[in-house]
Amino acid sequence: MKRDIIVIGGGAGGLAAAIAAKEENKDVLLIEREDRLGGILNQCIHNGFGLEVFKEEYTGPEYAEKFIEKARHLKIDYLLNTTVISLTKEEDEFILYTSSLAEGIQKYTSKAVIMTTGCYERTRGSIVIPGDRPKGVITAGSAQRYLNIDGYMVGKKVFILGSGDIGLIMARRMHLEGASVLGVAELMPYSNGLTRNIVQCLNDFDIPLYLSHTVTEVVADEKHRLTQITIQQVNERFEPIQGTEKKFDVDTLLLSIGLIPDVTLLDNLPVETDPLTKSVKINQACETSVPGLFIAGNSLQVHDLADNVSKESERAGHHAADYIDMKRTKEKGIPVQAGDHILYVTPQYIDFSWGNAEIICSFRSRKKIEKAALNVTQNGKTLIRKRLNFVVPAEMETFELNIEDIDGIGDIRVDLEVLS
Amino acid sequence: MYDFVIIGAGVIGTNIARELSRYQTKAIVLEKENDVANVQSLANSAIIHAGHNPEPGSLKARLNIWGNELYDELEKELDIPLLRSGAYVVAHNESEEKQLEHYLQISLQNKVPGAKIISAEEARITEPNLALSITKVLTLPTTKVTYPWEVAFACMENAMKNGVEFRKNALVTKLEQKDDHYLVTINNKDRIETKNIINATGVATDDIAALLDSSVEFKITPRKGEYFVLDKHMKGFVNHVLYPLPTEAGKGVLLTPQVHGEILVGPNSVFVEDKYRTDVSFEGLAYVKANAGLLAEGVPFHKIIRSFAGIRSTSNYHDFYIQESKEHKGFFHLGGIESPGLSAAPAIAKYLLSDVIGIDSLYPKNETFDPFRKKQPEFHSLSLAEKQHLIEAYPTYGNIICKCEQITEKEIVDAIHAPLGSHTIKGIKKRTRAGAGLCQGGYCEEKVMKLIARETGVSPLSIAYDSDDSSLFEEETKVEE
Amino acid sequence: MKKEFICIVCPRGCHITVHEDGSITGNMCKRGIEYVKTEMTAPKRIVTSTVRTVFSEMPRVSVKTDRPVPKELIMDVMKELSKVIITTPMSLGDVVIENILDTGANIVLTRSCMK
Repeated sequence: MKRDIIVIGGGAGGLAAAIAAKEENKDVLLIEREDRLGGILNQCIHNGFGLEVFKEEYTGPEYAEKFIEKARHLKIDYLLNTTVISLTKEEDEFILYTSSLAEGIQKYTSKAVIMTTGCYERTRGSIVIPGDRPKGVITAGSAQRYLNIDGYMVGKKVFILGSGDIGLIMARRMHLEGASVLGVAELMPYSNGLTRNIVQCLNDFDIPLYLSHTVTEVVADEKHRLTQITIQQVNERFEPIQGTEKKFDVDTLLLSIGLIPDVTLLDNLPVETDPLTKSVKINQACETSVPGLFIAGNSLQVHDLADNVSKESERAGHHAADYIDMKRTKEKGIPVQAGDHILYVTPQYIDFSWGNAEIICSFRSRKKIEKAALNVTQNGKTLIRKRLNFVVPAEMETFELNIEDIDGIGDIRVDLEVLS
Repeated sequence: MYDFVIIGAGVIGTNIARELSRYQTKAIVLEKENDVANVQSLANSAIIHAGHNPEPGSLKARLNIWGNELYDELEKELDIPLLRSGAYVVAHNESEEKQLEHYLQISLQNKVPGAKIISAEEARITEPNLALSITKVLTLPTTKVTYPWEVAFACMENAMKNGVEFRKNALVTKLEQKDDHYLVTINNKDRIETKNIINATGVATDDIAALLDSSVEFKITPRKGEYFVLDKHMKGFVNHVLYPLPTEAGKGVLLTPQVHGEILVGPNSVFVEDKYRTDVSFEGLAYVKANAGLLAEGVPFHKIIRSFAGIRSTSNYHDFYIQESKEHKGFFHLGGIESPGLSAAPAIAKYLLSDVIGIDSLYPKNETFDPFRKKQPEFHSLSLAEKQHLIEAYPTYGNIICKCEQITEKEIVDAIHAPLGSHTIKGIKKRTRAGAGLCQGGYCEEKVMKLIARETGVSPLSIAYDSDDSSLFEEETKVEE
Repeated sequence: MKKEFICIVCPRGCHITVHEDGSITGNMCKRGIEYVKTEMTAPKRIVTSTVRTVFSEMPRVSVKTDRPVPKELIMDVMKELSKVIITTPMSLGDVVIENILDTGANIVLTRSCMK
């Protein structure tokens, strides 16, 4: 039986997308590889979720439950413990093969697919950390799962490399569970996590944050267990400065050095990739270069807040539902270019065949700018100019474009101007 | 009383064990680590060299060429992976072209099949990313790539099937000569008796030799090599092993396609004091990056998933030292087995037994020797129909544990329970590749941990990452003291 | 004693100093002063953590204080949580410890356990 829409991944993104599509009376199937819905929210037991979506503060599992309840209420079909092992498209039909203990290999087909597969953590391999490669160097998210879901502490003397939010949250969690958390080192001169997390997770417990510092040596004992790390201050070119070495005796180095969208399932589809987001390019409807293939949430771009994942995925769900009913010829669209001081921008195309769909753009700056102006231009014409204060890479910014302002030809440029 | 104690379960020790199992001998392999092939045999370039480098007439040259041929046999018998990549040695200018000619002559003298010099244009037909500055290449069609850990694993598994014993976590702490035999002390407590000792301990060969011999003819001067691994999505970026011209320090920084699709970049070559420390450095990896650029254009360093270092047991003897101790009959040393040690390994084993030990006149053949070992199915490489078929027989093949590499519950459970099974995270990774992909175990390590706990009936608290002392967890939360 | 704060009222994150004489500097707006005053007098936090269960499928279940508790009591709350073991299926929102340490806050489940 051919479905209207298959949603891959039942976390914050997939739940919101499936709900939105189902609310437009589409036949939706949600596929989740874990034994429960909610994805990574299940291990994010801290609060701070829901302020945008529900105007109330929840923990991760509570936030997930709000969506799971709604999905149940709408009687959305879903599969648990099921891994999608291949995704292809023939003519107008998407073909998915899944594997599971209960059902073995199964084939599913659909008119549209929404990818909400989240992201994975950057590991030690993706950056160079000099020294040994012992047990005890572990990504913060993995340690979080062990701690919050399974009830095991990966160590008792902890240092954290990278000030991403998961690292900050884990600093507090491990401290509360009795570990001594000796510090957090951040390569950049500013934190990569939300300021509130610096205050609530580090300052509350007197955990030092070493900005412009990195780990320059990892030492193991003969049993390949971590025993010591050295951190050093870095200069503007991120080179370690001699004489600034600080040594810490630790059994654990948690890595919170970034997240990368997980789009490996798209390997066999002709999607246009974006080296800036490390994901794929989309138009304003969250549609990739493959018609009917939508993507949202952290598999599209890594968000700071789950609320924004939900909102973006909800839009993708609505657009996928629209797609089922639309008669349209997909266009490549007007490119949206990341200009001065812009790390990336989404969507990367504005496709007029999507008619009057709202155009919500997201971007991150490349650096911390105290006073900036956002300039969005096309063919020398200003589409948006607005003042932004305290722009930092750690916090995603958004703006909205009006399709009526956009010319049918000519790239759109997004720049940040540094104001004095 | 053992006939042979083999110390070291690296690619050399395990090949010797397998060759020995062709004879009616009582033999045991002692390994100090928690698994086979955990040191030098685990961290190297994985290349079966064709033989363009070793000095003609040397043992290195002879055993390299012979070993390269023997890998075809190992592939058939032991089901080990072999990538017939071929190799290009590259030259950038006239002076390098002259050196290339020199290595062609060496190759011809060493009887390397098919060695010849071709133009860079011709080479670019199959290797489009070749660095633009390259002018000529020496092509070596018999160069292959394998998974060295699996070579050792398969040899050991097959040797065990044919009667050889294996003991891990067994550090040899003392060797004593009695009237007509030796006493081997393990971990300062257990003693076993043996008529012969084979010392295949890589970087420790000189130290083990010195446990008995008063003078040792070779000294290991270890060299460290650092590498990057590029994600398997980069498969095809290079198809051949790409070598620069060799130098005193070795074969230089290479680009090597791996059997599982990754591309290896490295190694550098640094003499080190500590034989057992395999740390990586900013400088080493920067050197590797800079030199890789001389082989190919636009090496995708943003696709690095891992960096590591390996130790090579270079010795001051300059050739392989495969000899009986001058002082102690029945004590055999395999010293200075650096590159092309992996390439030569199966030949080294045969050479040791026939030319050094003279085994044929000492022990009768093992008539029940079975040379074959069959690898368990690899789910990810099967067609959908084959996958479905397997799942019908064994439903746990349906449960994907490692998403990046598509490794299933059945494969992991089999790896836990196999005769040479492992109960560690790293052991399972080496056997199944669970955790070897993009996320480096970020997702599946927890699931593997739970499977090990379930299958062995132990608490997660006692599950180790690698060595028995490297437990994953320090403690359980919310347990009142 | 001189005290330093990072204001969390807005993303600006002002570094605010309260000097020994009680004067406040470093804030870029008045809201910073309000924030610092609360932090100085009675800082409170929501505590989130887990408690043990007897169920092997869910060995830990997440909990929180249903209202902020005094910051200095956080570690004491953690100690109380170590004494709890969930033995029967319970729902999200169910109270595990009532009025913990007389703070007026209850410990509630933030997810359902085996229900």
